Amino acid sequence: MGKLYPVMWKELKSMIRDVRTLLVISMLPLIIMPLMGLSSLYLQQYQQGIVVAIDEDRSWAIIGRYNISSSELLTRIVNALKENNFVVRVLKTSEEARGLYYDLEVIIPSGFVKNASSFTEVAYVKIIKTVGSVKAYDADRIVQNELAFYSRYISQAKTYYLANLSGITVSADSILNPIKVVIGVVGPGGVAASPAEEFRSYLARIMAFSLIFVTTPSIAYITDSIIGEKERRTFEAVLATPLPRHSLLLGKVLSTSLVGLIASVSDAAGLILFFVLPSLAYGVNVLTYLTPDLVAIHIIGVYVSILASLALVLPAMIRAGSYRSSQAVSLAIISVASIIFFICLYVDIPNLVSFVKFPLYVLPYTHVVIMIRDVVLGAPLKAMVHLGIAVAESAVFLLLSVKMFSDERIIYLKT
Amino acid sequence: MRKAVELRNVKKSFGKVTALRGITLDVYEGEIFGLIGPNGAGKTTTLRIMTTLVKHDEGYVNVLGYELPREKNKVRKFIAYLPEEAGLYHRLTGWENLLYFAMIYAEDVDEAYRMAELGAKIAGLDSEVLRRKASEYSKGMARRIAVARTLMSKSKLVILDEPTSGLDVFSAVRIREMIKNFTKEIKTTVILSSHNMLEVQYLCDRIALIHEGRIVAIDTPENLVRLTDSANLEEAFIKLVGEHHG
Repeated sequence: MGKLYPVMWKELKSMIRDVRTLLVISMLPLIIMPLMGLSSLYLQQYQQGIVVAIDEDRSWAIIGRYNISSSELLTRIVNALKENNFVVRVLKTSEEARGLYYDLEVIIPSGFVKNASSFTEVAYVKIIKTVGSVKAYDADRIVQNELAFYSRYISQAKTYYLANLSGITVSADSILNPIKVVIGVVGPGGVAASPAEEFRSYLARIMAFSLIFVTTPSIAYITDSIIGEKERRTFEAVLATPLPRHSLLLGKVLSTSLVGLIASVSDAAGLILFFVLPSLAYGVNVLTYLTPDLVAIHIIGVYVSILASLALVLPAMIRAGSYRSSQAVSLAIISVASIIFFICLYVDIPNLVSFVKFPLYVLPYTHVVIMIRDVVLGAPLKAMVHLGIAVAESAVFLLLSVKMFSDERIIYLKT
Repeated sequence: MRKAVELRNVKKSFGKVTALRGITLDVYEGEIFGLIGPNGAGKTTTLRIMTTLVKHDEGYVNVLGYELPREKNKVRKFIAYLPEEAGLYHRLTGWENLLYFAMIYAEDVDEAYRMAELGAKIAGLDSEVLRRKASEYSKGMARRIAVARTLMSKSKLVILDEPTSGLDVFSAVRIREMIKNFTKEIKTTVILSSHNMLEVQYLCDRIALIHEGRIVAIDTPENLVRLTDSANLEEAFIKLVGEHHG
């Protein structure tokens, strides 16, 4: 009988019977993460923003066939804000706004139309935001959009007026936007990529980032599996048996990784729901982009990340002189993993300069991130190579653990 | 008689603390050998060296014909060890606790089940109790399982560190009976440490008295009492240790 079997049998039985912990670890992210996403969205909708709009100018002018009017600009701003569920109070002077609560104040000062219709002056609109107001930023964005539109309208009026004077035929765009940018997206082979493919690539970064949550539960389990045995005074008797150390450690790592996988998949699924549910609320079905290959590679990525974390933590845990120092080392390893998963949001690791890239390649996490990226970019062979490297590196760390294992150190470990 | 364990001038330190200052003793096959001494005398360190878990700094250690630490993997096949205050896996049942150790020692599943059945018989707990999780056991029940899982492998050498420590009188008596009856039945060698002089006198063929990392005396309980002109082993112990306390 292989000696790996008894260890896995015992470990899995013990872990699965800890139903309360399993339930909390696996269900909590599935409930909390989507709830966080939905509740913030829901509450945002029910949070009323108040804007004060003041037209101190109340004048108008004509440029050629175009009418420039402060009241028209104010009406546009007010309507746009109301469409976005803002409460708008239109006042005559900014004095009237004193003592009132508002998120944003928009003032069209006197002389606005005079300056806007002039060929030598610039007109101003004053926007005052309330400190700490989330709604102020939304209102500002809406007001800025309307101002940009009206600014272009005035430019157009002036362009046609001047062209008419000089007897030249012009199109407004050729004067106002002489350069237009056409953006296309291609895959690694230079073939045009669809918007869906581009979105998949974005989703892959999010998925790699979600691995940030998978390392912690499994490390908690392996700590309990080794330090917990010491605390419960069960380790010493096992160490005096003929059980080979590689079977003992591998059995603990494999069974921990399986249970850790449940918790980790739940964590990752929770994170995906955090993004998916609010997007569904906006009418965009992100789930259509979650193709089976992307889901499969994500599960593989999760499992290899767990395995890598356990393999990296194990030598440190075995050599640690105390429970606290093993916890500190575990935390350091979780932090390193988190950094790798975080930077993948903004950085393409294979494109980094060599002196940064190659040290990162020592860590299995780097290869997991690149593996996910390669699958999304349609390079499955490269992905397999990185998967192989990640697994091999984890195996090396496991081997190191077996070599470093010291019965004496474990027995005299301070708990 | 053949030697099961041979220790020659064994020394061990942990940093600045010297645990063993030169232990020399022989344990013969088939005997029950007791190691007695006050707290911190070096009993557990001596047992841990014999069980391959701790490496000695100096001296010679031979267990069942194998030299330690060089041949520790061979030794582990033939020994069974019950550490002091050994725990059970509290989420496993009593039966599963036995089966886990049986699977480690056995060559195949059938042998593992036979071994665990023997463990259940040694423990003397009925099947309903064995089906309960170890977390529900009293201290006495848990110790019966722990002792049974040590004995059931029928190892050539059984090492028991304070097997009845912290137990009530009834549980302690039951454990002693388990040890005495079963080890005599399978003719195995037993080394046990204890604070309880009655227990040692009842179980052991010979005793080593250890104090401050040194062997103070080795003999049969009867000889130790007689040679120190004492009424019982406890008095002999106080006299012998007292001499070495200075």
